[in-house]
Amino acid sequence: MPSHRPILSPAFPCGLSRREAIWEMGAGFAGLALSALLERDGFFARHAAGALPAANPLASRAAHQAVPAKSVIFLLMNGAPSHVDTFDPKPTLEKYAGQPIPAEMKFINSGGRAMGKLTPACRPFKACGQSGIPISDFFPKMREHADKMAVIRSCHTDTHAHGSALVQMNTGKPLIGRPSLGSWVVYGLGTENQDMPGYVVLLDKRGGPIGGQPNWSSGFMPASFQGTLFRPVGNPILDLAVPADLGRAGQRQQLDLLAALNDEHLRSRPGGTELAARAASYELAYRMQAEAPAAVDLGAETAATLEAYGVNQEPTAEFGRNCLIARRLVERGVRFVQLYSGGGHLEETWDAHESVEKNHGRHAGETDQPIAALLTDLEQRGLLDSTLVVWGGEFGRMPFSEGEGKPGRNHNPYGFSMWMAGGGVKGGTIYGATDEIGFAAVENRVHVHDLHATILALLGLDHTRLTYFHQGRDDRLTDVYGRVISEIVA
Amino acid sequence: MGRDCLAPTIRPAAGAIRSRVSWNVDWKRIAATLATVLGWGIVIPAAVPAADFETGAGDVLLRRCLECHGASDPSGGLDLSRAEGLLDGGDSGAVIMPGNPAASPLLARVIAGEMPPPKNGVDQQLTAAEIDGLQEWIAAGAVWPEGRVLDRFERTTDARGGRDWWAFEPLRAGPPPTVAGVSHPIDAFVRDRLAREGIAPAPAADRRTLLRRLAFDLVGLPPTADELDAFAADPAPDAYEKQVDRLLASPHFGERQARHWLDVARFAETNGYERDAEKPHAWRYRDWVVKAFNDDMPFDRFVLEQLAGDELPDRTEATAIATGFLRLGTWDDEPNDAEDYQYDRLEDLVNVTSTAFLGLTVKCARCHDHKFDSITQADYYRLAAAFWPGPVHNGRAKALGGPSAEQIGFDVLGWTDLGPEAAPIHALKKGDRHRPLAEVKAGAPSFVAALAGDFPLPPADSRTTLRRTHLARWITNPTNPLTPRVIVNRLWQHHFGQGLCKNPDNVGFNGPRPEYRDLLDALAADLVAGGWKLKSLHRLIVTSATYRQASIHPDMEALADRDPGNTLLWRADRRRLDAESLRDAILAVSGDLDPRLGGPSFKAPIDAEALEGLSMKGGAYQPSPPEECRRRSLYMFTKRGLIVPLMTTFDQCDTTVPTGKRDVSIVALQALSLLNNGWVRGEADACAGLVLASATEAGPRVDDAWRRVLGRLPSANEKKAALAHVTTQMAGDPARERLAWASLCQVLFNTNEFLSID
Repeated sequence: MPSHRPILSPAFPCGLSRREAIWEMGAGFAGLALSALLERDGFFARHAAGALPAANPLASRAAHQAVPAKSVIFLLMNGAPSHVDTFDPKPTLEKYAGQPIPAEMKFINSGGRAMGKLTPACRPFKACGQSGIPISDFFPKMREHADKMAVIRSCHTDTHAHGSALVQMNTGKPLIGRPSLGSWVVYGLGTENQDMPGYVVLLDKRGGPIGGQPNWSSGFMPASFQGTLFRPVGNPILDLAVPADLGRAGQRQQLDLLAALNDEHLRSRPGGTELAARAASYELAYRMQAEAPAAVDLGAETAATLEAYGVNQEPTAEFGRNCLIARRLVERGVRFVQLYSGGGHLEETWDAHESVEKNHGRHAGETDQPIAALLTDLEQRGLLDSTLVVWGGEFGRMPFSEGEGKPGRNHNPYGFSMWMAGGGVKGGTIYGATDEIGFAAVENRVHVHDLHATILALLGLDHTRLTYFHQGRDDRLTDVYGRVISEIVA
Repeated sequence: MGRDCLAPTIRPAAGAIRSRVSWNVDWKRIAATLATVLGWGIVIPAAVPAADFETGAGDVLLRRCLECHGASDPSGGLDLSRAEGLLDGGDSGAVIMPGNPAASPLLARVIAGEMPPPKNGVDQQLTAAEIDGLQEWIAAGAVWPEGRVLDRFERTTDARGGRDWWAFEPLRAGPPPTVAGVSHPIDAFVRDRLAREGIAPAPAADRRTLLRRLAFDLVGLPPTADELDAFAADPAPDAYEKQVDRLLASPHFGERQARHWLDVARFAETNGYERDAEKPHAWRYRDWVVKAFNDDMPFDRFVLEQLAGDELPDRTEATAIATGFLRLGTWDDEPNDAEDYQYDRLEDLVNVTSTAFLGLTVKCARCHDHKFDSITQADYYRLAAAFWPGPVHNGRAKALGGPSAEQIGFDVLGWTDLGPEAAPIHALKKGDRHRPLAEVKAGAPSFVAALAGDFPLPPADSRTTLRRTHLARWITNPTNPLTPRVIVNRLWQHHFGQGLCKNPDNVGFNGPRPEYRDLLDALAADLVAGGWKLKSLHRLIVTSATYRQASIHPDMEALADRDPGNTLLWRADRRRLDAESLRDAILAVSGDLDPRLGGPSFKAPIDAEALEGLSMKGGAYQPSPPEECRRRSLYMFTKRGLIVPLMTTFDQCDTTVPTGKRDVSIVALQALSLLNNGWVRGEADACAGLVLASATEAGPRVDDAWRRVLGRLPSANEKKAALAHVTTQMAGDPARERLAWASLCQVLFNTNEFLSID
């Protein structure tokens, strides 16, 4: 891994108070320099993770605890897959099919949509692997990996609307403006490869998640911690490509002239450490121009790999390519990769209002093989232990149909399923349960805060100690909540 | 040390205590027995005067115990704020036995390090002196001064700020110190301190550096080379003052100052969330702010119009537009629960008001008393009650969460109460609306003690509750020390890069204290006495020698070692251009800047690849025609779901909460955008067009490029390197001439000299 040139001279001793110092952590460059000297003075001995090093806020740093997981691949099934049709079988629905949902089960009818009757899963389940985890027929290939998975069947969230629920899945709260999970992870751990962004988001070609940027925003943290949108072909990062009329040699000339001018400028400004850092960032950019396109260049992948991911065939080509790139990114030391399946609206996402069979058939068809290939590939390359894979949507779907006798289902924030694999997860586990018809999580309920606390814990970060001082307090991804699901940690 | 012989009179290291304290005693039984014998409630003859209580045990209880064992909802049922509570004990029985420390469980638990309990894994054991104090007090009979109730907000402790916190104290408006040869009041404060520290201030910045700094600070645009030349050569004794007055009178002054305020006001032009719909007329609020600064509207009026412009007897469309301040927040048209959501909206309104004007984090007190400042939960609801009579409930999708045009009286983005009466508002336990606590009346909060109290009811014929008017009057009451301090500090920060108080949005316990408190107070008092005029404050600041210092110091290394943050102001701080100033400067030096003031915002073109992140549910993003896009960045449409990449890359702030100070990051993506972004290259090309037209020879063209972009002539070395660059880039192909010069101009855009203000 190319190492990042140190760009700041040693920091200064400090005469500031603790509060000033903590506040300065959020104050950009000056704050970064300051926190480095505090770090040197042992100030952050207790909070090694999250303390910002001097020159580079993205420099890799130790977790609170040594763990196998180093990276995350978050497969976000945008639009909300139906749990009762995928990972949470409810045979009782067969029995009660055609009956109304019991009156005591109160809920918000999202969007005021038509109310149908209880409706069984549209496809059969099968017990898979040694563990016997039931997985539906939507995911024939993922079934082969059941023993790697910890399926959490008792997830719940606070809101029934896609926009705010996606924001909550990404940031912990349904209100926009908070740093996303990836930002917290990169804030806590930095990233391993300074020639690449530390937090990468690959969107679905059909569009971004509703709500847009707040989903990968760094909120009140410095912008260096926000997700970088990454395109899966050519030049993956905005403004990465050297303009054709300039060429790489022409840009090198620009950088050389710039360095000469900056050197002369700096000579008359002793102590201009931030000027030196800015000058150095151009060399980093230059290296990124080579490194980032290489990450999406699949030329070196074998035909077998491309075939396994389904890169050269429909309907798996796009998500297969993204999954393969995700593997290439974690291989290169990128800390947090998020992949969206589904983009834009309604049936373009997993938002199966009209027909679960049709909608999930389409989206599962696009993603099942690529995700299975990703798990196999990570395992074969010895990356599965160091890579936490997370799968899920922003909420689940109702056990009753949307409209009498219709095959679609409406939003359900009260209960849904997610799974994790790799990265220190105890495979072959089922955790928590919804009620007998899959309406709401009832046993070992797992709120989004708990999912986040668990993801951080698997990365060796204590969610109660990973704090960022903002608006007068040490803020956390999990606010004042969050419980680590230790039962799914190996 | 006069300890009771029964007490284990040990004061070893914390770790050793536990093992040596090994009384195996049934405290409850002993306490009960003794209670019978002694009779609780009988005050044991005072051996310790009240003053000793205040400095001894009372002080320990206040600082170390009351956070949990206070009057409201005391932990373990033990209320240590009053004598009765102490003697009553807690859920597990009596806690002290007056006259007998050894039989007092409170002391045993304190000595054992169990109380106060560890916090975040950190031991909180009392110091030896504190334990001694408690022990001696109990031994002497635990005398509690008659009627004394300890209030954990009464004064500042190690763990929290009290009502005596410096920011709540009245302004200290003393005259500046007398310093020989110094007449400017700001310099008197600074030079006096520096002299005492034995630090010589940096020499004055040269004229070119100074004018560039002044121009960016006051109007946000670079001076032209001609302006720099003229100023450098102006022999008039008031040459600098003339520049200050010229820039203060420029209409661009209001634009620059508005940008700072819009950050604080969480300004954006869409609601955020799923549909991220446009807030119609939001730009008219922005124009109102620009005009207010240009017209030098008194700051107390500026506050009043934004909070209560609809309630004024002389209300106009403009004052209604000003209340748009209350409409700028995010707004979810599809909240999970509309009843809950109205409390989230109140939080936004309380937060923006208290942060912007008071520099306090009042919103922390939504669910409980503030953990660090003397802000009670009731205070939060007192402020929230000012907004409660407005349309905070969500059932108004058509008007995007606000009042209708009919209700406001004008077709603007504004605010008004729905009537002269409002439903009662209750404090909510843990912020949960299903757990209402006592009703709270609209009123001034307790933390400015001199002004606390309920707001009066409106007259019978009032259209509104007038609560916001009262709130604004309280905020701008000359006795309220927060408001002038906070705005002075904001302005100071805009000129120096950091405030006198380093966190402009938090002057509370968790914000750093100001190094120059007396200077801050003197400026604040002066502002109020002078009728809240901000332009005179700007003038006062920028005419000081402190402002006019160079950013380098002859003794840089030693001083940077001693005061790395330059808190003592021994030099000017170098700053990076913010996103807007950078874009505006590029437009200006390329001859492309359209200086028109005001009007609807333009939508900057965004690369198709960046648009992939947009869901388009609110309709496709349509950029404005190119001629509109040459306007200043202040006029760039801010869509919450799609921030323009160039701007966010250069740390344009988040728009969901107030931001008084932006981050300044240094990341590779900034270099990439200034090197490869199509818009930047287009401006470099425009700049090259001017450079090429300026002369026919390469040498003078290089001179022109330098003057245009950097405001000066190149050095011999620079010129040589530039000429070589152009030659190499042309590669002998005359068709590449323009490209080569554009490349040179673009390199100049990327220099540290262009990007920073010395």
